[in-house]
Amino acid sequence: MISGNLLLTHINIVRSGKVILNIENLQINSGDFLGIIGTNGAGKTTLLRLCCGLIKPNKGTIKLDDINLTNLNAWKKSDFRKHIGYIPQQAEYNPDLPFTLREVVAMGRTSIKPLLQRLDNNDYEIVDEWIDKLGLADNRNQTFRSLSGGEQQKALIARAMSQNPSILMLDEPCSNLDFNWKYQITDIIEQLYNITKVTVLMVSHETSLLPSCCNRAILMHKGSLIADGDTDNVLESSEFQQAYGSQFETVTLGGRRYTIRK
Amino acid sequence: MDSYFITVIIAGVIAGASTGMLGAFIIGLRMPFIGTCISHASMAGFIWGGLLSFNNPTLWPITTSLGGIVASIISALSLATIREDKTRLDKNVGLAIIFCFMLGITFLGLGLNQGSRTDMLGLLWGNILFVNTTRTITIAVLAVLLVLFVVLFNKEMKVLLFSRSIAAATGVHESFVYSIFLTLCGIILAVNMPLIGGLMIFSLITCPAAAAYQICKGYVPVVITSACFGMLSTLAGFFISYYLNLPTGACIVIVSVVIFALTTLYKHISGQND
Repeated sequence: MISGNLLLTHINIVRSGKVILNIENLQINSGDFLGIIGTNGAGKTTLLRLCCGLIKPNKGTIKLDDINLTNLNAWKKSDFRKHIGYIPQQAEYNPDLPFTLREVVAMGRTSIKPLLQRLDNNDYEIVDEWIDKLGLADNRNQTFRSLSGGEQQKALIARAMSQNPSILMLDEPCSNLDFNWKYQITDIIEQLYNITKVTVLMVSHETSLLPSCCNRAILMHKGSLIADGDTDNVLESSEFQQAYGSQFETVTLGGRRYTIRK
Repeated sequence: MDSYFITVIIAGVIAGASTGMLGAFIIGLRMPFIGTCISHASMAGFIWGGLLSFNNPTLWPITTSLGGIVASIISALSLATIREDKTRLDKNVGLAIIFCFMLGITFLGLGLNQGSRTDMLGLLWGNILFVNTTRTITIAVLAVLLVLFVVLFNKEMKVLLFSRSIAAATGVHESFVYSIFLTLCGIILAVNMPLIGGLMIFSLITCPAAAAYQICKGYVPVVITSACFGMLSTLAGFFISYYLNLPTGACIVIVSVVIFALTTLYKHISGQND
């Protein structure tokens, strides 16, 4: 088991001659809840995909605990990724397959097991436990495609958690959900974090969807990290106003931070 | 019914089952065009293998079969290198490019061929005369290999179908499993193609699987039903063509489409929900 410390140094990603990510130094400590905010095209998803190892940097190193992932071959890198729970945006999965909810959640156990080894009763106990914890017991044998968007998102969280991850990466987990589901999903993420203290990296466009336990935020703009620190301080920083090109005020209500234009 | 036709039926049923089973994954991966692409690659390999036999009748069956298999594997593995998230190239566009290239190679080979083109053109439509005991055994062995693959890599294939990104990000050895799948896909389609035909194989990949996805719930039922529908398509197609003296390939295709239509109708009438 790894502790979940992530260190990115001198990262540079260039595509078609354009710098899409440029990060000098970013340290994420075990147990951090890091909110990743920024304008459209700022590089938030690229950063998350880089941390997952889905894309390679042109320059720089990514260290998970003390292991330099950039030096590992693809096979060994995969072995380290089994500690990462990843919840992508909807476009990245095929929601039309007739898989049952239980099958989707059980996918979280796949990388835990070596190749050629089947999931056993113990795996399915863990899967059922997470299905129950997320209140999906009644939908267990329903197909994933027949669930509502919010229930699908809960199922994907259960899938990621059944993997017993050291790091949980969420890419706009509340996009395309109605406001009630948005808050339900963020409440679930907060509860999971408080119970497991897993390292969380969460991309969000809406500041109100960052749970109150999100103690640290980074602000991305045009591929660069322009602010890093306490979430409230980042939201009130001048860099935040500059990045969005307007004057904003952040109001905290019921533990949530709402950013409104002045 | 003579013993030769029984061999043909056995080969056809196994080919239908294995192609139907492959279809469950190919449709799940949203790349049905792979059948046409690989079958044309196989045809190109077959034709160039024939050219390399230098009209030696002993060498001809060996070079053509090997050529077909090698070309299929190369085209299938070329697909493994296309990562939509990295190259921003849709896998179906990649398939179309490989298909165009293979078509060019095929017709170049046809143009260079001095002898009869009947066998080569027969690959397009399929010809039961390609069936013999050796090919039937080969088809059966490959079907067993496919079943083994499905059983052994069951958990990895599920994630791969659901999302390659999730599979890659969470440490599933997806490139490895995907490459094995594509290689197997290339070999099976290359070996089955002379019997079913390059054009017809597309329907056996698509229709049984699409029908299974209509009415099944869960991964295992989809895979098994798809294989059964593939088997049923070839079996019914052979009997219809035998008794009504109609082209076999065409009958198989029509039966597979009818099966799809019936499952869609069933789903609609029964109001079946997930």
